Amino acid sequence: MTDQPTQMSPVRLGLAVAWPAFWTGVPIKIALALLLLAMGQHPWEFPGLAFLLLLSIPVDIWAVGLSGRTVFLERLGVEPPASLGLTLWWQGAALYATYGSLACFLERQTIAGSQAVVGKILDLELLKAIPIAERISIELTAWGSVSAVVLLALTLGGLFLFGKLVQRQADSGSPTTAPYEARVHQWDLMRVPADQPLMLTVVMAVGVAMVLLLWAVMPVTTPHPHESYIKDEKKAAPILKPTEVLQKAERVLTQAETSVQALEAKAKTSKGKAPAATDKKAAAKAKKA
Amino acid sequence: MSGQPNVLEKVIAFVDERVGLKTLQAKMLNEPVPGGSRWAYIFGSVLLFIFIMQAVTGILLMFYYVPSADHAYASTQYIIHEVDYGWFLLSYHFWGSSAMVVMVFAHMSQVFLWGAYKSPREMIWLVGLALFGIVMAFGFTGYLLPWDQRAYWATTVGVEIMDKTPIVGDFMARFLKGGATPGQMTLSRFFVIHVMILPAMLMGLAGLHIFLFRKAGPAGPFQGTPAELKAKTDYFFPRQIWKDMVAMAAVFATICSLAFIEPVVLLEEATPDPGEYHPEPEWYFLFLFQLLRLKIFSGEFGQFLGAIAIPGAFMALLAALPFIDRSPERNIFKRPVALIGWIAVMAAILIFTVSAIINREFLD
Repeated sequence: MTDQPTQMSPVRLGLAVAWPAFWTGVPIKIALALLLLAMGQHPWEFPGLAFLLLLSIPVDIWAVGLSGRTVFLERLGVEPPASLGLTLWWQGAALYATYGSLACFLERQTIAGSQAVVGKILDLELLKAIPIAERISIELTAWGSVSAVVLLALTLGGLFLFGKLVQRQADSGSPTTAPYEARVHQWDLMRVPADQPLMLTVVMAVGVAMVLLLWAVMPVTTPHPHESYIKDEKKAAPILKPTEVLQKAERVLTQAETSVQALEAKAKTSKGKAPAATDKKAAAKAKKA
Repeated sequence: MSGQPNVLEKVIAFVDERVGLKTLQAKMLNEPVPGGSRWAYIFGSVLLFIFIMQAVTGILLMFYYVPSADHAYASTQYIIHEVDYGWFLLSYHFWGSSAMVVMVFAHMSQVFLWGAYKSPREMIWLVGLALFGIVMAFGFTGYLLPWDQRAYWATTVGVEIMDKTPIVGDFMARFLKGGATPGQMTLSRFFVIHVMILPAMLMGLAGLHIFLFRKAGPAGPFQGTPAELKAKTDYFFPRQIWKDMVAMAAVFATICSLAFIEPVVLLEEATPDPGEYHPEPEWYFLFLFQLLRLKIFSGEFGQFLGAIAIPGAFMALLAALPFIDRSPERNIFKRPVALIGWIAVMAAILIFTVSAIINREFLD
């Protein structure tokens, strides 16, 4: 049992704060990114990205503060300063902007350089007979190993620098004399809100609201139609209005009745006259039938 | 305020008296976690969550899916294009299967690195390996159901690989295909295995896995003095449950995001002519597929070696692991062979998977 504060290397210290802080913030950021996606905004394109980065700031401050306070109390035996999260966040952001950019540039150069060198080696006459599947794996392993080593070194460098920032904060803090169990209990209580039912209700309400929001903004049909899928163009059936249909039918019947009456009157007036030649032929046809 | 119980309390008391709810609740939630809750312990719970979500989305898809060679493709297209939120449910189910494979790998890695397979937890490890096989079988059988070119040819290649297994290979291939080429019988059999047999097996074995886990108790961290572990020991509720719930929410959001970014889009309907399409299995079998492209694994014997003998020997080694590695040491940093072995296997899987993706450029 370590009642005395532990001496940690800057790399381990940086990792002890940065790793849990990263994973603490990730679930919230994923949920926000999902809502952006459902709304048709890509979180890696401008408006969505800016929105996500802006919302990530308070999340990261909270996450760095939470994991930092735990490490200070449990591992370093130091009372954490009040503004630990904010201080570590802005210092870490400045470090990421400078060292992170440099590291990204170096890694990109390493990948490009190692790919070119490995490609040239494998293009040698001696190695040209290597089959394609083997060549791909050899090439990938060779440049991947070099890039992975450089990436690891750069990551360790970043953790070392971040660890130095954490150490500077720890040096300015006052050591705690409490035994290990008491310190564990202290950081334990820091993680649990004073009003637990309220916290649970808020978390539950936010969760339900986010799920409802997701279903509300999500497209009902696929936003990615298949190019060969032809959707049936359904023509809307005309709306049936029973009164109008009945009135129309009545009008047709009235017209038919008038026509019949006119024909009967005509037939009466032409009675006694000699039938026309065509009428004779029609009568003969009817007889045959 | 009266001391009389309200209606809800009376109902709970009534059920508790007959079912033993409170005892069950205490048994489920008051499990001591040595060394306290950890993010490393979330994988089992997350796997259970993914399986439940797969079952829910699978049942909803079954309301519209028709498992016949004539209608499978059309009904899947109908789900994607006509059914309200059908595209999302299908895409969630598709990405959920990948998430399950990733989580199985993560869970097995955690157990391996923590040395949690050692005595007295050998049975949990063995049942876990069987569950790993079931998850892989879920992926393989589900892949055929949309009945497009990708599904048809991945299954054809998979069954051909299975055919190379000595003694049972021929029978298994004939049984699964139900004919000379994949057709209605294949689809029917894959469908029944996917929606009836595998879920039943998974539920039974997962229940046994959890029972054995509760019997042996959690292994706890691989380092730390007994006094340190005791100081941090906590119950399963609320800390571990909270971590599990956060992890489930994160996994749910990730699967949903993948469904939005890369929704399921079918290829042409399955035909016995591959045409321009180059058969390829699902991404988690790609490393094995690429391995078989190597010259060393060409020819009848080479294919048997790469597709059956090596993976079979590896699985047998994993099954025998708790009985070979009998040292009580659990700290991974004091088990160099285990650590190097794990890194080598993971690196090989990664390299061959990426190689298979690069290899696509050279196929046309």
